[in-house]
Amino acid sequence: MKAAWATVWLGLAAPAIAAAPAPAAGEDGVAWLKKMASAARRENYSGTFVYHHAGRNETSRIVHFVNPAGGEFERLEAMDGPQREVIRTNDQVTCYLPGTKTVIIEKRSARRFPALLPERLGALSDSYTVRVTGQDRVAGFDCQVVTLEPKDKLRYGHEFCAEATKGLLLRARTLSEKNEPLESFVFTELRIGGAFSREQVKSRYAEKSRDWKIDTSSLVVSDVAADTGWVLSRQPAGFRKLTELKRSIAGRAAMVSQIVYSDGLAAVSVFIEPLPKAQPPQSLSHQGAVNIYVRRISDHMVTVLGETPATTVMQIANSLEFRGAPGR
Amino acid sequence: MERISELMDGELEGREAQRQLARLKQDQELAHCWSTFHLIGDALRGERPLTREISSRVAQLLADEPTVLAPRSFAPTKRAATYAVSVAASLSAVALVAWIGFFNNPLAPKQEIAEAPPASPPAAVVSTELASVPSEGQVNDLLRAHTEYSPSTAIQGLAPYIRSVSGTQQAKGR
Repeated sequence: MKAAWATVWLGLAAPAIAAAPAPAAGEDGVAWLKKMASAARRENYSGTFVYHHAGRNETSRIVHFVNPAGGEFERLEAMDGPQREVIRTNDQVTCYLPGTKTVIIEKRSARRFPALLPERLGALSDSYTVRVTGQDRVAGFDCQVVTLEPKDKLRYGHEFCAEATKGLLLRARTLSEKNEPLESFVFTELRIGGAFSREQVKSRYAEKSRDWKIDTSSLVVSDVAADTGWVLSRQPAGFRKLTELKRSIAGRAAMVSQIVYSDGLAAVSVFIEPLPKAQPPQSLSHQGAVNIYVRRISDHMVTVLGETPATTVMQIANSLEFRGAPGR
Repeated sequence: MERISELMDGELEGREAQRQLARLKQDQELAHCWSTFHLIGDALRGERPLTREISSRVAQLLADEPTVLAPRSFAPTKRAATYAVSVAASLSAVALVAWIGFFNNPLAPKQEIAEAPPASPPAAVVSTELASVPSEGQVNDLLRAHTEYSPSTAIQGLAPYIRSVSGTQQAKGR
């Protein structure tokens, strides 16, 4: 069994794992994570999930279809509160916000992101104890529970429950230091499989939105991998730079520098942009398990956000330095 | 206090830094000092503007609670402490300290998050404690830009995008 896994991992070009094999349970857990990532991309499914955070529940419909002729389509629609819809067609994400009659069109980078990169998956066991802990049942499906217990306070714990045969993620919980749920995504009703239907992944606002405000500012210039000149003097343990680029972002005139750090699962993005006219004070806020910290450095506004504890986000923000152009 | 100053200067490593951060969380007064050190440092480096608006708030705060302002009590060691002493003479120091008292410090809400029962909405706590958070719309755009790169999105598909179009935030308009 162990030899078989080793072969699989070598095939995935993960030298780190080959050099230091994790315990079998950890490997099993990591294999499950890979299975979940693959299922999320390959399986056709439609269902209803509840996003729980801060004592509130938000119900959404989600539909995911892969066209056998090519193309991946996904539709997310909020069922509670203001109407909101997110459509993904391959690498393009479109948000329809009827409340403000706005359409935001964004292109995801050409490089297939986000990804559970094999080499980073190996490093996961440096930061988390990965365990396959048991079986459960969600939305009528048997599922496999996989837990990631953090080895320090720089990251949150995670608990996933993946459908037992296909591996589709049915429930995801993010747990605080006290092991209390910070947020969760849980399917309450789900159908796996089914034929491709373009109709199901079309926006219900496709017609109505013709005269809405359309923000395509992040389509103008594609992401450019770049040395932004910004570095961390104290990179949090276990986090490595995933990518660094200059990009356009909806609602922004100027290019924004983005640096993404990740421990293999959780990620923190650093955004550096020119200081807006209304200068923002230092602030800390959050959305679900995502902490958001804004500070000013010289004539830049720095926003650091990620699904990590506030300490991690703040450590990154406070150790950010510009070492790019000399004489600055 | 000196350890906090060292922490701020990045002189503490790993475990010791963790220990001091934990102390910061526990001790309200230390947390205030931490914020004040940063604030004063930022101001001296010209990274933080002082506005007239703040001055009027300072006046109000002075009227309400004059004893809050005591930068002189900081240990006169290390860089941060030097800042504190050199600024103490000027009115701007008063403004700075009052400013942080007014806006609360960035560590305080975190403590509240940690202590809040899971059923209570910590998001609301944070946004009311810390004034003038950038407009939610701006953060939503960045949140989306982040979501597309986060490995956790890989196993959840489009679902995490619900954060970036969250009901309360959208209700206020982008």
